[in-house]
Amino acid sequence: MFTSIFFYFLASIAIASAIFVVLNRNAVYSAIALVLCFFSLAVIYLLLEAYVIAVLEVFIYAGAIMVLFLFVIMLLNLGLEDAFPYFRHLQRALSLFMVGLFFVGIFLIMFNEQGILHQPGEKFSAGDIYALGEALFSKYLLPFEVASLLLLVALIGTVYLAKRKI
Amino acid sequence: MVVPLEHVIALSMILFSIGVLGVLFRRNAITIFMSIELMLNAVNLALVGFSRYYNSVDGQVFVFLVMTLAAAEVAVGLAIIIALYRNRQTVNIDEINLMKN
Amino acid sequence: MSNLHSLTHFWPELILTITVLAAIISDLIYRREESFKVAWWVLGGLVLTLFAIQIGGSTVSDLFMGTIALDPFSEFFKVLVLISTIAVVLMSFNSNELKDYRMGEYYSVLAIMAIGLFLMASAIDVLMVYLALEVVSIMSFFLAGYLKKNPHSNEASLKYVIYGAFSSGIMLYGLSILFGLTGTTKFIGMQTAIANLGPDSNLALILSAVFILAGFGYKISAVPFHFWTPDVYEGSPTTITAYLSVAPKAAGFAMMIRFFNQVFGDSTALVSETWSTINGIPWPQLMGVLAAVTMTVGNMVAIQQDSVKRMLAYSSIAHAGYMMMALPLMSEAGVYGIMIYLLMYLFMNLGAFFVVIYVQGKFGGEDFDNFDGLGWKMPFVGVVMTLFMFSLTGLPPTAGFIGKFYLFAAVIKAGTQYYWLAIVGALNSVVSLYYYIRVVKHMFLKGERSESVEMPASSLVTILLLAMALPTFILGWYFAPVVTWISESLVIFQGM
Repeated sequence: MFTSIFFYFLASIAIASAIFVVLNRNAVYSAIALVLCFFSLAVIYLLLEAYVIAVLEVFIYAGAIMVLFLFVIMLLNLGLEDAFPYFRHLQRALSLFMVGLFFVGIFLIMFNEQGILHQPGEKFSAGDIYALGEALFSKYLLPFEVASLLLLVALIGTVYLAKRKI
Repeated sequence: MVVPLEHVIALSMILFSIGVLGVLFRRNAITIFMSIELMLNAVNLALVGFSRYYNSVDGQVFVFLVMTLAAAEVAVGLAIIIALYRNRQTVNIDEINLMKN
Repeated sequence: MSNLHSLTHFWPELILTITVLAAIISDLIYRREESFKVAWWVLGGLVLTLFAIQIGGSTVSDLFMGTIALDPFSEFFKVLVLISTIAVVLMSFNSNELKDYRMGEYYSVLAIMAIGLFLMASAIDVLMVYLALEVVSIMSFFLAGYLKKNPHSNEASLKYVIYGAFSSGIMLYGLSILFGLTGTTKFIGMQTAIANLGPDSNLALILSAVFILAGFGYKISAVPFHFWTPDVYEGSPTTITAYLSVAPKAAGFAMMIRFFNQVFGDSTALVSETWSTINGIPWPQLMGVLAAVTMTVGNMVAIQQDSVKRMLAYSSIAHAGYMMMALPLMSEAGVYGIMIYLLMYLFMNLGAFFVVIYVQGKFGGEDFDNFDGLGWKMPFVGVVMTLFMFSLTGLPPTAGFIGKFYLFAAVIKAGTQYYWLAIVGALNSVVSLYYYIRVVKHMFLKGERSESVEMPASSLVTILLLAMALPTFILGWYFAPVVTWISESLVIFQGM
């Protein structure tokens, strides 16, 4: 019961922060709002029993991709100047909030042991790392290898494009 | 109480639409990229929901690859923005119109 | 086929991968001035790959547990991609724009793009479709922006990355709906699952089909997903423009034919004849209208251009429209027509772009005015360009005529309901005559007639121009072997 209400709570945070991303004029605030959106999505993934994806969402999206965004925004100095003093308080409050969200999600799953889509009596095992790893290295081996090749070349391309000297 | 799959998909549709609107209405190239990330995340949510619904891991492998590609795309895209900014000192796509129509 | 067994049929891609790695490592060793030598590694790898495809035999099977297909259909497109990649690598030696840049990354990325195009042509799993499409897209964003000191090139690649990421995001949403409706990622499984769907899923199915069409339409630059094409084609290095107008388009058509044929098709026949699984929208008519609009828009805007490069960009939209005419038919003759047209289009379009590269290097521009008097100054280049222009219009006895002939024959054979499409196509070909002939007019009638006659200074240019011009000419009247080869290639993997 509480799990379901928590889902709707997270959904409204995700929607609200997504609207904030699109409407805000300051790119730094947009980026922070997007991190919040990704965090609430990560907790929703926990409730959907996709644990690996939930962790990857935080690692890759909130961690790597958004840091890259913020890095570029600040490198090009696109944020409004006066944004930064507020930004520090916002950051602290937001990070506490997000960590809180994540822990509530983990506790719910730990004590309930079933997600929001879980039918009573159903057995579900596709969300853990064993199932995902097995699929990646058998059924989807080729896409996995091609993705690694792509990452290599994307790295080369990025270095070439962003380097000042040719 | 079980949340119906439709609500998860509805959330994903709402996020996707917000992302599309962001791409269409914002003029700052970086915000446009963020909106595209929002769209991809909406897709991921739908895929995870479907994967849970069908009790299969296929959808999650899909999400895994979407994340990889999104990272690569953002890296190349932001590098292009940096290269452009060096030459033009702007990231507003309305001002980026050197070519005749 | 299991993963280990698949490796024995995966030689072409493996050789290409090794080529890419070798090219990247050799680029580290070469000094900046000799970084163009990476091209030799890449060329060697591409030629080896061509041989590997030739000796591979014609097995029809799935590879890597049903992620990609091995069939003559994909082999045809792989050969097409290889020919155009080799031609573009050779063209890049003479490009004036690329001279000031380090070239190692350029050639390695071209080779990776070839791998992506191979996968596009053979993907039978939506996951692979998306992955291959993104590999090709990300590499093209990079190549479009390769001239990083040139604002036009920066702008082209930024526009490309925004349009590309947006439309692939939309396509991805369509694919995820399709996954949600069917519970599988494989084409064949999807087909049976869609056939068993109830009528209440029809709306979702239409939505996903339209979203997916947006992704494909972007790749082959069909109206209304063509907005990126002119700017990207104009701003990119001309060698890359030539490549983008040929290779990804061919692979995009391959992917589109395979996808619509297998997922939304109706039977397990070689090429299914109907589209009946999506009710509610007149699907063939919709595609027919898209084709007609695509060629008309492409031609109408091409007329108004002052730059030959931009004119060719718009005309490539028109050519995509001609080929799309055969898509709604879903008949064997239609697919056959598209394949023949793509082969002919490869030679004439690459040739035309190569002349533009040459003129740009020699006279410093790519406008119509830069072509003034070219036919008298350099008769060889002038005559060859005239041949390409006639062929792009579709006049006999050139390759373009044969391509158009098979395409229109397929449309007319499909029945009276498609006659209007053939008429629109024919009218458009007449319109295109106007702006193609304009190039010829500038070359022979405008400007002063110079007395001295000049040949291209480098023999590589002459050889490359001949290599594009001879097929364009010879295939116009001796096309039997090519047509036989293509009809043998019309075997599409349909599940085990």
